[in-house]
Amino acid sequence: MKYLKIAIIKKVMLGTLICLFVISCKHTEEKYHNVMEKIEGESVKYKAPSVSSPMINAEIKTVLVEEGETAFLIPERKSQISSYNCVECHTEPLSVLMQKQVDKKAAHWDIKLNHANSEIMNCATCHTSNDMGNLHSLTSTTIDFNYSHKLCSQCHQKEFKDWKGGAHGKQLGGWSPPRLSNTCVNCHNPHAPQFEKRWPVRFNTEKVKERQ
Amino acid sequence: MSNNTKKWFSLNLNRTKKSEACGCGNNASSCEEKTPKDGYNQVMDVSMSRRSAFKKLTAGLLIGAGAVSTSCSVISGDESKEKSAIEWDEYFKGNYKLMTDKEKNETVNRLVRSYELRTGKKINLSSKDAEEDVLFGYAFNISKCQGYMDCVNACIEENNQDRASQMQYIRIHEMEDGKGFNFEESDDNYYHEVPAEGHFYMGTQCFHCDNPPCVEVCPVQATWKEKDGIVVIDYDWCVGCRYCMAACPYDGRRFNWKTPEVPEEEVNKNQHYLGNRLRKKGVMEKCTFCIQRSRKGQNPACVEACPTGARTFGNLLDPDSTIRWVLENKKVFRLKEDLGTEPKFWYYMD
Ligand code: SF4
Ligand code: SF4
Repeated sequence: MKYLKIAIIKKVMLGTLICLFVISCKHTEEKYHNVMEKIEGESVKYKAPSVSSPMINAEIKTVLVEEGETAFLIPERKSQISSYNCVECHTEPLSVLMQKQVDKKAAHWDIKLNHANSEIMNCATCHTSNDMGNLHSLTSTTIDFNYSHKLCSQCHQKEFKDWKGGAHGKQLGGWSPPRLSNTCVNCHNPHAPQFEKRWPVRFNTEKVKERQ
Repeated sequence: MSNNTKKWFSLNLNRTKKSEACGCGNNASSCEEKTPKDGYNQVMDVSMSRRSAFKKLTAGLLIGAGAVSTSCSVISGDESKEKSAIEWDEYFKGNYKLMTDKEKNETVNRLVRSYELRTGKKINLSSKDAEEDVLFGYAFNISKCQGYMDCVNACIEENNQDRASQMQYIRIHEMEDGKGFNFEESDDNYYHEVPAEGHFYMGTQCFHCDNPPCVEVCPVQATWKEKDGIVVIDYDWCVGCRYCMAACPYDGRRFNWKTPEVPEEEVNKNQHYLGNRLRKKGVMEKCTFCIQRSRKGQNPACVEACPTGARTFGNLLDPDSTIRWVLENKKVFRLKEDLGTEPKFWYYMD
């Protein structure tokens, strides 16, 4: 007897639950319950649309970054560095060059290193006087200026991972493939990578009036 | 847009319902499809003779009025006639989402011509439809935003927003650390050096909900969700009742209390019918994910302007897109998720 009661109560509850489910389920026109389901469902048969990134044109020189499964373009760097190629001036050892410049405004006078502290970093962490036209890694492997992200990634692994995926940094031009993303030094000055404090570019005086 | 006819014809503004087999007795393939009625015909349910009589009468009145007004102006008669003809056709055109491609083209051409007649300048007005296999989504990195508001300015310039009332679609909220997302106490109109110590910044705009309450409440179906997920407004169909504004839980919509004004030299001439074309008094507007840009493959102006990379935009259906990577690898959340509005705008932190 007791079991029967419980069974009935169970059935009634199940019935109500199903009823509730059916009512609460808004199957009016969409096949999916939520946008996540929709994304999953609709991307199964995904075909790349015909629009393509308007940035991919002759104006921007690019190089390809291939890291594991991701591959995308970044702006070519060397042609953007005003005093490249370095070896045009760096023909003599640094000490000699510095001697020559005493009492003059030295080259690179505007570069102040503000990146970690001097215990961790100095010029030689990234540059080497043996090979001024290239960068070098912590283990003295040569790194091309075009691929300077390899240098940054030595310490900033988390940012590097996010950048590859797309959660850090900025896509140039458009959302549509092929992907062209800024590389580290397009946003961060490698000698002082922090973003600076500044004033917001807008102050809404009408809003102030409205809220008085 | 084609398979949803039932929903949109529910107002039944004398549009003939397309049924599977047509009424002509023959089978569906052999009978000619009737040309859909547009504009004036769509609105007026009257017999042909009465309709044309009315049309002529009103046109006469209009031209008469035009003649009176031009008798002492410098505009040539031809131009004013053309102007009133355009005004006439514009006044009686249909809802954009019911238009055929031809009708879309016609209204676009009219609007371009009318702008040219008024200002002597050409605009580039698009009516590009949604692309297949595209669903737009947006992600905002709260820990990256520095509160510079570069996005706000870019948005205003891109979208021809009214300068006098300083309308802005985007709001950047300055919030105090440790208080959670407290919009009541946040400040969206700060003016001091940013980022301020002990504060973080969070941007809001229309989130292009996948289940948008604003669309449901519109009595004239002047706002709807496009196939690529962008929630748009037909500014010429909106009656300005502001129901949608009240229904939006995110303060995403803006109303034109007066005729919006943009200095001629600042007008962005790259426009879309459902996007940044010039609005008029008494209609609703809001963020359209810069439809005039995004449908061409570009990023919205805010994404392009942001110097910190806090804003990510892309195709949610593309498994290789950066937005998908963010959704799959970051701890993302949306505002008021429990409402079931399904915004396509995610926040995350590093
Ligand atoms: S955020 Fe507001 S205006 Fe935008 S789609 Fe959602 S409900 Fe509509
Ligand atoms: S204001 Fe316009 S878009 Fe909004 S509900 Fe009213 S008619 Fe529809």
